Amino acid sequence: MSVLLAAGVLVALALGIWLGAWFDRLAPALEGGRAAGPMAPLRDWAALLIRDQAETEAPDRMNRLLAPAWYLALAAIGLSVVPVAEGLALWHSPVGIVVWGSCEALIVITVFLHGWSPNAPFPLIGAYRYAAIGLPVMLPSMFVLIAAALPAESLSLIAIVDSQRDSWNLVRQPLGLPLFLVVGLTLTLRGPLDFAGGVDIAGGTSAEESGAGLFLWQVARLATLVAFSALAAAVFLGGPLGPLLPGPVWLALKTALVMALTVLAGRLIARTTPSRMLHVLWVWLLPLSFAHLAVSGMVAL
Amino acid sequence: MDALLIIAAWTGLAALAAWGMQRQAGATAPLAAPFLGGGTPDTHAWQRYHFRPYTMALVFIAFEMEMMFMYPWAVVFVREGAKALAEMGMFLGILSVGLLYGWREGIFRWQ
Amino acid sequence: MSWLRTLAAGAAAPIYPSIGAGMLAEVEQLFASAPGLRRAASPRDAALLLVAGDIPAEARPALDRLHDQLPHPRRTLAWKAGEPSTQISARLNEAWRDLAHGAPSEPDRLPDEPPNPWRGIGPHGQGGKGMMGGTPRGRPMAMTGADIRDGLELDRYTARVGPFAPMLPPGLTLELTLQGDVIVEAHVLSLPFPQPEEADLPALCAARMLRLLGLEGAADRMTRGHAPRAAWIRGAVPAGLGAWPGAGDARDRLDAWLSGRQEGGAPRDPARALPGLEWHEATLLLASFAPGTLRRALAEAQDLQEIPA
Repeated sequence: MSVLLAAGVLVALALGIWLGAWFDRLAPALEGGRAAGPMAPLRDWAALLIRDQAETEAPDRMNRLLAPAWYLALAAIGLSVVPVAEGLALWHSPVGIVVWGSCEALIVITVFLHGWSPNAPFPLIGAYRYAAIGLPVMLPSMFVLIAAALPAESLSLIAIVDSQRDSWNLVRQPLGLPLFLVVGLTLTLRGPLDFAGGVDIAGGTSAEESGAGLFLWQVARLATLVAFSALAAAVFLGGPLGPLLPGPVWLALKTALVMALTVLAGRLIARTTPSRMLHVLWVWLLPLSFAHLAVSGMVAL
Repeated sequence: MDALLIIAAWTGLAALAAWGMQRQAGATAPLAAPFLGGGTPDTHAWQRYHFRPYTMALVFIAFEMEMMFMYPWAVVFVREGAKALAEMGMFLGILSVGLLYGWREGIFRWQ
Repeated sequence: MSWLRTLAAGAAAPIYPSIGAGMLAEVEQLFASAPGLRRAASPRDAALLLVAGDIPAEARPALDRLHDQLPHPRRTLAWKAGEPSTQISARLNEAWRDLAHGAPSEPDRLPDEPPNPWRGIGPHGQGGKGMMGGTPRGRPMAMTGADIRDGLELDRYTARVGPFAPMLPPGLTLELTLQGDVIVEAHVLSLPFPQPEEADLPALCAARMLRLLGLEGAADRMTRGHAPRAAWIRGAVPAGLGAWPGAGDARDRLDAWLSGRQEGGAPRDPARALPGLEWHEATLLLASFAPGTLRRALAEAQDLQEIPA
């Protein structure tokens, strides 16, 4: 049974990765550019896989090889705690949001290792930049998830979904999803929070990546987008809850919606300098998440 | 048991995929050289790197530790009611004073 | 694996452009409008090296270094002024299809020699002595120096960036010393290549800044001549960055470009403003002047230095 469920999660993850990649290639149409067809992601991945992976000068070989694997694994582990139907998750963790929180923190370390391992200047700058921005983003994330745990009286995601039978957390805690989107943009290295990359450092942590290594890194980023979106759907949009259609279908639809939102936010919001972003995170976003927790607490009582 | 199995299985699977797909062939010296837009470096990139937001990192540790208290608090919050709200309010209030002090000292930026 | 190759041949051609004199605007237009081409962030992600315009002799060694950093299979294409963009676009697409189907790759242009001999030197044959001495694996390790912001004694990393760096104006080579990601010393080694006036058009100048702000799509839209659709463009540029008397700051200049106005003022000795700036700030500052204006200002400052006191 659980092997079947695991296979299901893996297939869903693979489909989600493809969908996310297609969203990325559809988005230019909003700006008057060309939208690519559904095959475009597969073609781009094939283009990476037929090319060599260049080794850098005196790299940290093991970390270079395994950083994409850790990133991918963390996404899959995070996705495993998300309930796919009412009362059913691959991993029935009583502390689901703690598991997700650990995945978030380890993703920051993984991205750092990815930038550290090639022993090259631009990836190194990206690595340290991302660590500086990724750390303070963990704080709003935890406040938002803890606020969602209050009405459920539990840290389990199954209980959090269950607590949304009458009204979704999106309604009870309106600031939650926007704050959590900031976390999602950070974890998936996108747009305004993509401090691991950027044109100014020639692609940052992946500036020296080529071939299969770059392919795996891109896939891992998309896998994290899927996991993050599924979690956000469960925490704020009632996850598998919904009329008529079966639970997993509802979860898939809501996940796709959050993915599209994240892709859009990543494309349409400018990225400021790291120093200013650090200021924005601590001085504006953190107090805002304090306020969010306080208001959610009062609503829950 | 579930936990161990799931973490081990996903990690193992991902590591196997990474191991199987990637071939880091030995590159020639000019191919391996770090990219600087046609430029050259004097030294290796690895260094005792000046991590600019180091003061922020210290404050971060304080905030991250407080999360530990919030997990059990979240579970009993509704049962304990206003008392729990007041307690956490005071705790966050004290932390906010620290935040304000840090802001005044200008620690939330590149040093 | 012929199905993989067939699939790959249908992908957008991954291209790293090395932009020479006179072709900046053309290259930008090409990537914003031509179908089936993708501008790679770094040569590692590219299979085709597009050499656009004339590359002066002194930039040739840098071009060779860049060429050798493209992973195999790779190919170089030259785009001379006068060749229409539809033609070069077709040639690029065709070259990529060839490579995808297994056409031979170009060999290295530079000899396969490490920057310094290291094999067999030192107690472990790693090329060094002790923790930091010698040239472990061909290069020395960075050494410490006092920081200009807080005086901390941490490592200084010195490198030459350019003339084909994607975040700097084409042709500009800077010798930089960084501590962390803050520039502590900057010297101009070569000026940006001369570009026709078209490269100074407000829309193209604004697009370059948008790209540095992570707004790839908005930048392409701007290059095609439409107002960008994005949030927090102005606010993302720190106020006061790159302020000069009579020229406003970087945010003002971006503002002017976004509303279609040519910026007026010029900076005095812009390279001197780089030390003390974090890397992203420094690239934004350089992009906040039109390429022509920046080239003139950098040239002026060099002339002044050459006059003996």
